[in-house]
Amino acid sequence: MSASTPAERTELTRLLVRVARKDQSAFAELYKRTSSKLFGVCVRMLRDRSDAEEVLQETWTTVWRRAASFDADKASAITWLVTLARNKAIDRLRQHREQQLDDPLRLEEVADGGATPAAGAETSQEYQRLQRCLETLEPQQRNAVREAFFTGATYNELATRCTVPLGTMKSWIRRSLLQLRTCLDQ
Amino acid sequence: MNTPAALDREDPRYAEYVLGVLDAAARAAVEQEMADNPQAAAAVSLWQQRLTPLSEEIDASTPPAYVWARIRADLQLAEPARNAQPRASLWDNLPLWRWLGIGASLVAAASIAFMLTVPRAVMTPPAISAGYMASTIQQDDGSTGWTATMDLQHARMIVVPASPALFAPGRSPELWLIPAGGKPVSLGMIASDRPTSIALRAGLLSQLSATAVLAVSVEPDGGSPTGQPTGAVMAKGAITST
Repeated sequence: MSASTPAERTELTRLLVRVARKDQSAFAELYKRTSSKLFGVCVRMLRDRSDAEEVLQETWTTVWRRAASFDADKASAITWLVTLARNKAIDRLRQHREQQLDDPLRLEEVADGGATPAAGAETSQEYQRLQRCLETLEPQQRNAVREAFFTGATYNELATRCTVPLGTMKSWIRRSLLQLRTCLDQ
Repeated sequence: MNTPAALDREDPRYAEYVLGVLDAAARAAVEQEMADNPQAAAAVSLWQQRLTPLSEEIDASTPPAYVWARIRADLQLAEPARNAQPRASLWDNLPLWRWLGIGASLVAAASIAFMLTVPRAVMTPPAISAGYMASTIQQDDGSTGWTATMDLQHARMIVVPASPALFAPGRSPELWLIPAGGKPVSLGMIASDRPTSIALRAGLLSQLSATAVLAVSVEPDGGSPTGQPTGAVMAKGAITST
């Protein structure tokens, strides 16, 4: 299920290329191998299983329809799939934005939990490098970046959760992103 | 590869978009830019490669099997590949079609009785009565487990319990649509103590016909783990136009 080894990634990419040619057995196989990862992403962001089910469904109908836009030279299949799921989940969060209540416990959860790879999963070299670069950030800023990534929160929501002014949050995140980019592109 | 000056020149919104901190309007603006400008799209793509590995920390979670059934129905995909849902289905051996031949006339009579019990809101507007279908889902002992009415115009189905059998703890009824000659498609879990309203997706609407059947199987509480019925079939009903 994890896509951490180059061989697994190559296999997923091969399947996605076949899906682009409307190969139904490849579509079923790709779903079998990656849907639980994508569902995990949706559940984590939406915190509601029935919302997550709907977003997962939208994600996969989009995979079938837009697989032809996947460019294997630009991204791995798993990155493309997770990105699609995250984007659909974020769109859903923005639709429900007024209903979202901030729960201060959640930031602590993320902050205390720190970085732990999914249970039993091997991590890719890309993850390990990103993790090393995240370690170079100030703890508060690292937590804000992680919270943003895992919950899809807006700047405003992040500022509220971390009880800092909006301008402070923006500058934390922007500075962190620049630092990460410098570190990762070395 | 990048000078510090080049770093600072890049629009921060591309990274912010990928991280997920922009509001709906700002997201839409970036997406438009990606569509118009290949450089913007390339910058976003680079950020996706940088940040997406963080998702490796997220635990996988197996989605309910009916999600896959809905995806296939939505896309109107034909039979799934054999190796995708490997299962020597109990359903292949059921004398379901023989039962249908016997049951059809009973169902027609029962559906008239059923229509009298349909909530008034469902009955309106009366002008399009042709847009409804119904099914009496009968249990093996001949008693009615549930009745289902399908509002084709609004793409909804309401499943009302009549006298369904009791379920063991941890077991629940799951409703299936079985198109003629096709494999069961999950319509979701239904309640035994109150009406259940189900949205009918486009792919399903086209499969509702007098040759299709509704069936209820006994499944674990969260639904069949395989996307096909795994437990006993405890009730079935043909679909009739009203």
